[in-house]
Formats: sequence, structure tokens, C-alpha cells
Amino acid sequence: MTSVGLATPAGRRRTGAPFAAGTFGQRRRLFLLALGLPSLLYVIAVALVPLAQGMWLSLFEYNLLRPDRRAFVGLDNYLEQISDPVVQQALWNTLVFTVLAVGIEFLLGLGLALLLWRDSLFNRVALALMLVPVAVTPLVVGLVFRALLTADFGMIGHFAAQWGLSGERGFFGYPNSAMGALIFIDVWQWTPLMALILLAGLKALPQEAIEAADVAGASPWQKLRLVIVPMLLPAIFLALVLRTMDAFRIFDSVFVTTKGGPDNATNVLMFHAVKEGLEFFNIGDASALSNLMLAAIGLIAAGFVLVIRRADRRMLG
Amino acid sequence: MRHHRGLAGIALGTMALAAPFATAQEQPYSGVTLNVASMNDQFSGPLVVLAPSFEAETGIAVKVDILSYPELLTKITADFIGETGGYDVVTMDIVWAGQFAEAGHTVLLNDWIARDAEEIGVDDIYPVLMQALGNYEGAQVAFPFAGYANVLAYRPDLYEAAGIAPPQTMEELVAAARALTDREANRYGWVANGQRGPAVAQDWMQYNAQMGGSILDAEGMPALNSPENVASLTVYKTLFDETAPPGAVDYDWGGREESFRQGLVANMQTWSVGAAGYDNPDLSKVVGNNALMLAPPGAGMEPRYGIGGWGLAINADIDETRQAAAWEYIKWVTSPEVQKQMAELGGGGYIRMSTLADPDLNALYPFLPVIHESFLNGDGEYRPRIPEYPEIQDILGTAVNAVLAGDVDPQEALDAAQEQAMELF
Repeated sequence: MTSVGLATPAGRRRTGAPFAAGTFGQRRRLFLLALGLPSLLYVIAVALVPLAQGMWLSLFEYNLLRPDRRAFVGLDNYLEQISDPVVQQALWNTLVFTVLAVGIEFLLGLGLALLLWRDSLFNRVALALMLVPVAVTPLVVGLVFRALLTADFGMIGHFAAQWGLSGERGFFGYPNSAMGALIFIDVWQWTPLMALILLAGLKALPQEAIEAADVAGASPWQKLRLVIVPMLLPAIFLALVLRTMDAFRIFDSVFVTTKGGPDNATNVLMFHAVKEGLEFFNIGDASALSNLMLAAIGLIAAGFVLVIRRADRRMLG
Repeated sequence: MRHHRGLAGIALGTMALAAPFATAQEQPYSGVTLNVASMNDQFSGPLVVLAPSFEAETGIAVKVDILSYPELLTKITADFIGETGGYDVVTMDIVWAGQFAEAGHTVLLNDWIARDAEEIGVDDIYPVLMQALGNYEGAQVAFPFAGYANVLAYRPDLYEAAGIAPPQTMEELVAAARALTDREANRYGWVANGQRGPAVAQDWMQYNAQMGGSILDAEGMPALNSPENVASLTVYKTLFDETAPPGAVDYDWGGREESFRQGLVANMQTWSVGAAGYDNPDLSKVVGNNALMLAPPGAGMEPRYGIGGWGLAINADIDETRQAAAWEYIKWVTSPEVQKQMAELGGGGYIRMSTLADPDLNALYPFLPVIHESFLNGDGEYRPRIPEYPEIQDILGTAVNAVLAGDVDPQEALDAAQEQAMELF
């Protein structure tokens, strides 16, 4: 039987039969590859090619308005960006924003997820309502908060200034409070998403382990620290990576509220890159900046993987 | 009866046969569809409303794509660079002329304007607008379409109550702004844009020009930290601190206009285009209590009234037929008749003396003589229309905002700005 099975495909190959040749496994692989090919081509066309082009262009002094003056400059654009104090400030602002916004969103999101864990009608309705901010475009959220927080005639900003909760210029009028306001807007919009991801993780936890902790007489804090969080690590990882990548690329709310001010207090990397690329059309500089951001996001994601793996190993013994 | 029907049928048939012949002669570009990239401004709505009239007259359909300022600049630049010919006609901001001219993305209109001068009525168009809204070093890269004048909007009732005459000089304006500020009553004497970026840069450049400052020196090189500029920025900071609403350090154009319409401020230098909204009870709390006057110059200085606005440019990448059709559209939309219709529809921009002198429009908008006077002594160069303008504006936008909101010393801020600006040349 074995010899027949081996002989058949060889025989077909000899007769020159084309694609249909191969074992069932080979044909299956080919079929699956054919199924995945459109997606693969799509990813290559809309992600990899532009990415490669961005890397290539970052090596040139290239302004779209003066295309004839294009010149190869090697890594100069990168060195220029890294040594530019405005970019350094923007990087610091981006990190501060990302760490604080994602950190607060995580803590609030975990709290909300734990509150909504038990399946009840109220919790289901609360969850649905809570997701409304996620559905709104960030640009619109920024515009709404700008109108609300304006010190002189905003519904919140006016009273906040009157009652001394903000300076008289309003939240957007001072460097620290402007960054605080941007973090608040992000937390308002994205905490529900964080809660949703963590809630999905909580719902998937094996009940036996939690019941065992109850039987063993664990306090709620011990249960959370020693049982729930370790088992929730994959969901925590997913939530943190998703939000960190997104927060690192903050643009919309800055664009419609502070334009990076006051001074350079809320000038973040993406805002700076967009200005370089789409306002001044310095494609070389903008590409270098984008690639540096890509590398930074990659490093942050790698850091998360490392931390979570270590924690995972420690928790599992 | 049957006989009459027969005649009518023959007549209709003849008309039907003759129609294509007439169309071919009178509507040489019939069937062409022009894509217009329009800034989202007050004129964009009227452009859409009037497009069917142009199609009825010429057979040329017009599709107007209304875009925000950054979106417009990005899309048309991508269109030009990619030579995709996506847009046939684009609205061009006054400060883009240098870039457009240098890159050569648009059709030069000099010859066509000379050829059709009589038809266009070139003499009826304010010379300063013909120059500022499309001409760069002799190259006419766009045709003037919607001109704005920088004017002083003020509250006559507050001036009257305080027993002060409206200001004739900047120094008087500063004094009036101080006198009319009453923080306890939440009323402020003056307002301008303070937000980082183009908003604060443009308002300060206007103020700076009125006070005798200049962004470029006589050789066309940056002179951001000239003594005149430093002096004017120092006074500007004082004005902000003492007479503007506290939140003004973060105002852009929308916030600034809103503060005037809400009755928060007594004086505001602004573009004439927003004036129609001050007497709209749905938008404004100062209906009947507002007026426009010429922007006051510094004491002893020649008046320099800031000019802004938009021109219409033709994409050089489209074929000759489309270019010709686009020129027909530009001539039509800038004609006296259509300009009047646009004004009646709230377009807000003007280019023709006849439009600003029109009795019907003057009855509708009593402030038109102020715009006329501003155009006669207009200055379209206070924002340098050079290719490096966007970067210079950004540098100034950060420096001036740092002074107003970050309490940085004006000299220090402008020294740093000058250093950055010099790197562009």
C-alpha cells in the first residue's frame, strides 16, 4: 500500500500533471495559501510597500514642493531629528502622555471590569452605555471638550476658572494643565475600551480556581493579587499594548485643542511629524520621524512582552 | 387641429436638430465636469448653490469638494505632485502664491487675463487684490476670487458709555482697550488669537505691521528679532495680560470671533468676512451693538490695511480643454453678476469695486465702505508670500505663543525664532 501511495504522485509528476500534483497535505496547503493570498497582497500593498518607501525616503533631503532638489543624505535626517530640542521635547511629552493616560485608563478600566464582572441586567446596560465614548471620533471628542473647557465661555471651563479649579486662562492656557486636560480627554474616551478588554478576560477565567481561593479563605485583595491578576495577564497584556500603541500616536485631540501649545507643552511626536510631512511637505524629515516612532513603539511592545513573560513565569512558579 | 399639430411637430423637430448645433457653438465645453477643491469658508456654500447656473449657461458641470484648510493643502499638493489631475480648479490662500509659483503646479494666467481683459473688466478689480491673491513676482498663478480686509470690529455702545471716541491710531486703541476692560464685569477691552501655530502668528503679524514692524528685511531675509518687532511683541504681551479675556492665549479664529459675538470684548481686529454674523441673532449677543472701522495704524504711520483671501488656480496637469473650461468657470464666478450673487448668499469675499459700490449690497451690509477703503490702501505682503512662509509662520506661532502663554522674554523668543528662520534660507 505504501509503495502505491508513494508511486502515484511520482507518476503524476512524470506525466507532467500541473498544479493538482502533490499529496492531499500539499494541495491543502496550496489551497490555504490561495485563500490567504489576497490578504497577504493587501498587507504588502498598503503596509509593507509604504513602510519600505518611508524608510527609503527617510534617507533623502526631499521636499514635495521642491522635488527637483532631492538629495541623498544617508542617516542625516535621523541625526537631525534626534538632536532637535523640539523633537526631544515632543518625545518627552509623548511619553508623559502615554504613561499617565494608559496607566490611569488601566487602573480605572480594571476597577470597572471588576464591578461589571457579575452578569446582571444592570451591568449589561451599564456596559453598553459606557461604550458610547469609544464610538465617537476622537476629533469630535476633542472639539466637544475644547468647547466645554474654554475658560471664558465653556460650560465647564468657565465655572472651573471661577471656582479656582483651573487658572484664569483655563485648562488649555497653562503647560501643565493643558497636558492634564489632554490626558483627561483620552481617559474619558478610552477607559471603557480598556474595561471591555479586561472584562472579556475576566469572563474567560476558570471559575474553579476562584472558587478554590474562596474555599482556601483568601481575602478579596489576595484573590485579586494572587489568582485573578496572574490569570488575567494575557488580557492585561493585550489591553496595555493596544492602548499604548494608540496613545503613543496621539494626534487628533492635540490638533483640535492646543495645537501643541502653550509653547511646546503638548507638542507630541505625531503632531510634529504630521506638521513636517503634510504642512511643510518635508517628506525626508517626516519619514525619519515616523520610523523613529515605529522603532519606539516596537521597543515598548517588546518591553511589555518581556515584563509579562517574566511575571507569567514568576506566577506560574 | 391636425395641421397645427403637424407644424408644432416640425418646429420641435427643427429645434431638436438645431439644439446640438447651437450647443456646440455656444457651449464648446459642454459635457466637461470640473472638480473644484474649495476651502471650507463662507464662499464654499454659495459655490455649490451657483454651480447649476453655470452648467445651464455653459454645459460645464461643477463638482465642489469642500475641504478644511490642512486637508485642502494636503490634497491639492498630493494631486500636483502625483500629477493625477484630480482637481481642475483649486482655491489658493494668499500665502501659498510663492510655493505655487516656485513649483509651477498651476497654469500661468497672465496671457489669458491680457486676452480677455475687457470681458473680465480687469479695471473693476482692486489692483492690490489682483497682485496679492495670485501674483508672485509677475507670475499670475491664480485669479483673485474672494478678498478680505483686516478691520477693527468694535462696540459703539461701550465706547459711548465710557465717553471715548473710537480709536484712530494703535496707541489710541491700546488706551481704549485698557479703559474698557472691567474684569469684575467679565468685560475685556481687546482680543486677538493667542493659540500656538498659525492663529497667533497671523494676528501678531498684522498687529506688528501696523506698528511698523516687518518679518523680512529689505533684502527679503528674515528679520524676526528686529528692534521694532521686539517692541511690538512686548506691547502685544501687555495687551494680552491686561485687556484680553484670560483664555485668549488659547483662542484661534473661532474662539476669538465667539468672544466678540458673546459680548465679552469691546475691540477685535478681524477679517471682514465674519462681519455679517455679528447681527445674526442666532449667533450673536451684540446685534445692533457692533460696527466695523478701518484698522488703526500706528501714530504718524501710513495706513497699511491687511489683505487676505483666496484666488482660484488651474491645475497645470489637466489637458488643454479642461484648462480652457476651468478658465471659463473662473471668469464666470468672478464676473460682477456672480460676485453680487455670491455676496447676497453670504460669500463674504469681494474683489470688485462695482460689487462693493452696489446699492443693494450696501443696504444689506452697511460696512462695505470700510472694506472698500481698506482695499484702496491694502497691504497683502505683511505675511510674506514666499515659499518658506509656512515654516516661518510656524516658528513665529511657537515663539509668540511662548511669550504670551509661557512668559518667555520677547527678545529671547524672537532671537531663537530668527535663528531657526535663517536655517530655511
